[in-house]
Amino acid sequence: MAAAGAARRAGWRLWRGRAVVRCQHYAPVRALQASAVLRRVSDEHKKEPFTPSSQQQFDTHPAGHQPEQEPQGPRPSYTGQGGQESEDYESEEQLQRRILTAALEFVPEHGWTAEAIAEGAKTLGLSVAAAGMFHSDGSELILHFVSECNAKLSELLEKEQKLVQLGEAEKKPTDEFLRDAVEARLRMLIPYIEKWPQALSVLLLPRNIPSGLSLLTSMIDDIWHYAGDQSTDFNWYTRRAVLTGIYNTTELVMLQDSSPDFEDTWRFLENRVADAMNMSNTASQVQSTGEAVVQGLMGAAVTIRNLAGLNQRR
Amino acid sequence: MAAVRLCRCRCRALLSRVRGAPRALRGLAAGPEMHFGFQSVTEEERREKIYQVFESVAKKYDVMNDSMTLGIHRVWKDILVHKMNPSPGTLLLDVAGGTGDIAFRFINYVRAVRERQLQRKLKHHQNLSWQEIFENYQEDKSDSLGDSQVVVCDINREMLKVGKQKAQHLGYSEGLSWVLGNAEELPFDDDMFDVYTIAFGIRNVTRIDLALEEAYRVLKPGGRFLCLEFSHVSNPLLSRLYDLYSFQVIPVLGEVIAGDWKSYQYLVESIRRFPPQEELKAMIEDAGFFKVDYENLNFGIVAIHSGFKL
Repeated sequence: MAAAGAARRAGWRLWRGRAVVRCQHYAPVRALQASAVLRRVSDEHKKEPFTPSSQQQFDTHPAGHQPEQEPQGPRPSYTGQGGQESEDYESEEQLQRRILTAALEFVPEHGWTAEAIAEGAKTLGLSVAAAGMFHSDGSELILHFVSECNAKLSELLEKEQKLVQLGEAEKKPTDEFLRDAVEARLRMLIPYIEKWPQALSVLLLPRNIPSGLSLLTSMIDDIWHYAGDQSTDFNWYTRRAVLTGIYNTTELVMLQDSSPDFEDTWRFLENRVADAMNMSNTASQVQSTGEAVVQGLMGAAVTIRNLAGLNQRR
Repeated sequence: MAAVRLCRCRCRALLSRVRGAPRALRGLAAGPEMHFGFQSVTEEERREKIYQVFESVAKKYDVMNDSMTLGIHRVWKDILVHKMNPSPGTLLLDVAGGTGDIAFRFINYVRAVRERQLQRKLKHHQNLSWQEIFENYQEDKSDSLGDSQVVVCDINREMLKVGKQKAQHLGYSEGLSWVLGNAEELPFDDDMFDVYTIAFGIRNVTRIDLALEEAYRVLKPGGRFLCLEFSHVSNPLLSRLYDLYSFQVIPVLGEVIAGDWKSYQYLVESIRRFPPQEELKAMIEDAGFFKVDYENLNFGIVAIHSGFKL
């Protein structure tokens, strides 16, 4: 009994250490004790299909992008450390995700708080004390929601891309593509728009800034990738910075928009995207204008020198 | 002055006697060896001795807590309840909670949360008619705790008696129940409670693994186990100061305030014999709890261990 306990603890610590790389999640080896709540993974598979497609895109991204974010789907059971089959039970992380997903429907009423998480746990048949697993300010709930939205957006863009590849749809011009992608993503906020300002302020807490920022950057990256961006020079950074700016400002406009179906927001978005497109044209125009001006100045300088007789050679 | 000098001599004598004694007892022990402070006793003897210790200190328990920890124990218990963050409707089992400190704090916390909830509901109802608002008052009035309940369980009748008197004195009437029971064998059914707490009690339990298994049994799925207990200080300088304070000052205080040297000597020794943070965490995991973690308060003088029944 003691040896098994020691083995379990060693396996537990090893499992904890490996949790850094997010692809690998091993269910803890608790061979001798059936868990009261963690259910078999096979039950989950029927409900939530795993989306492997979004992983492939990370390989084609240019250097500088960290494949940190994956869609939060359920993990199938992996074999354990020594090649032995680990228990078919879901891991704690998966249970936590289930609780957070269940908690989302209580957010409009209770806000992004531990209360919403407690209500969510209740619907799953757990005690309200299970909300103690999370921070009392609801950070995990918000981050979970954001990553779920990003995953949904990726799926959507992937489907559209497939349609274009199959020839069933026209390839959209860049500005329309960006506009539609940002609009689709922002529409996912509509059910929670009342409490979203609270969520944004929680995301700005120092503790949450790294995760929030990485979620945002990976989403922007997604959108540009599906828009067909293959740049490998400085343009890569400029494009992402510009789109991040557009997204953030549109989100803020949406928060205080009271027009029917957020028409004002979409019009604002359209204008910003158009501005961004013009900006790139303007940039090249400025460059060629600059060159022309410099040449003109050079010519004027030579002329003046000639007139002043300084160029004469005897 | 003379009394203090007398105490100091007794202190030194007792310390040397207790530290030297164990060998003799070991030969006589019949049955599994356990520790009672720095002595070695059988399981039965240990249970009896601990019962006697608490029987004799029950009346002065709170006063002694305040003087020994300079009042900091209140902060520790507050932190425990804040960490629990109970919502209205929670069912709490407070084991070894004799004088009811955790139970009263729980009730206060839940009452405050409930009030805030009601205020928020009222804000939403601001466009109702007077009649409807009045009706809302009626149905909510009986519900200041939102159905939360505490069951205080203790093995010692004297401690429960003191707890009940305190409750009456402080005006806590609803949501409290007092039950006589042994932590190693709780008189409750499976899957009953949302939270199980044991504050400064698990040190006195003879078979900690049984107590942890019982905790697992009576908790609902998703329920939380919380344990507040004296633990090991890793910082060497602080550890020396702490030892000095524990062995020189506390038994003296015990004698002066409660007239009971031996009980407080036992207290200090039992703290030293208790397993450190990581070991207790492993024991909790063995009982089947998940997401087990601990938080050191005051550099390890006290630690809160938390686990979930998942």
